[in-house]
Amino acid sequence: MTIQGASVELSRPKAGQRYFSLKLPGWFKWGAMIGLVQIFAMATVGPLGVSTAYPQFVGFVLDRIFPGFAEHQLYLREIGAQIGWEVMLVVGLFLGALLSYGLASQKEGQQVTPVCVLGFEGSRLRRYLRAFLGGFLFIFGARLAGGCTSGHMLSGTTQMALASLIFGASAFSSGVIMAKLFFRNDHTLANKCQMGNKR
Amino acid sequence: MSGTLLLGLVTGIGFGFALHRAGFSRCNLVQRGLWLRDFTMLKVMLTAIIVGMIGAHVLAELSLGLVHFKVKPLYVLGVIAGGLIFGIGMALGGYCPGTAVVGLGSGIGEGLMAVLGGLAGALAFIFAYPILKPIFIEKMNFGKLTIPSILGLPVLPTALAFAISLAAMMWWLTRLERKAKTVAQSEFARKAYGLR
Repeated sequence: MTIQGASVELSRPKAGQRYFSLKLPGWFKWGAMIGLVQIFAMATVGPLGVSTAYPQFVGFVLDRIFPGFAEHQLYLREIGAQIGWEVMLVVGLFLGALLSYGLASQKEGQQVTPVCVLGFEGSRLRRYLRAFLGGFLFIFGARLAGGCTSGHMLSGTTQMALASLIFGASAFSSGVIMAKLFFRNDHTLANKCQMGNKR
Repeated sequence: MSGTLLLGLVTGIGFGFALHRAGFSRCNLVQRGLWLRDFTMLKVMLTAIIVGMIGAHVLAELSLGLVHFKVKPLYVLGVIAGGLIFGIGMALGGYCPGTAVVGLGSGIGEGLMAVLGGLAGALAFIFAYPILKPIFIEKMNFGKLTIPSILGLPVLPTALAFAISLAAMMWWLTRLERKAKTVAQSEFARKAYGLR
């Protein structure tokens, strides 16, 4: 198999350079690291999964505000409204991203360039509304199907689960159709769409 | 803090670090992937699956009971309907549940909004669950099926064959991408120099 973008450099080193440097493309390096994290997770507690943490966290918080909330909800009785391994995984996700962002030499936080979605182009308010709506739909869909990108597509495919393969096919087909129908070409409408947090 | 919670935190930090370095904090990576303009998302996912698949199954073969498998049940209606809703949400938001948190962690406002939307969606699902359960989850529920269990094949060789076929798919994807890049460059040249 050839890996696009991979190269091995053997050259005369300058001061402070190593003799041998292996350059792997980013997607390969970090994809392999996610795979190793997956093996670690499966060897310790269980396969990676993120979306369960959302209702568990909501249930935990609302149970503190309204005592007895979790007991009355069927779904929370099934998954439990506690701060467990799943919620801590999400806390870790946040901290890991923060760490990587902190260590990064080039701060990319200001360079978000979302594609223009029909009906949501323009001001920051509209882009935030789009993200909120997207978040609402992806958690609702993930909970209905029983998993998200990590739970179904990564962990499920790793275990060759049939449900996960069907989920992946159905999620990608609706996502691609949505993108092909509602995404606008950023070249023709660059002036109408606000690209990034800063102009 | 108990051991399980600490393990979750450590696993999450590794996962978040890798996702951020792979570029998933930016919502355009997922969107351009679904738009079929940029296959980085698919390539990262396929690499992760191939590495995890080979590693987990080889480890399970070496010492039974070390690796925890947790196969999700196949309830056809819920999985397909959920997948369709999920795909639309992913295209619109540009994130999935995990990468939204990664976006939030790197200070992107849209990541925060996607996480808040996700919490609202979770609350809506908690309330809708008693209505949805008898239709989507209890009907046509075939239980925890996997490819080797349906076909009656040994697990490890099937996993290796599956990983090889995924690798072949990735190789095809990189070829497709290279071809698309060449076409885009030649189109750019055609426009730039006014050629027909």
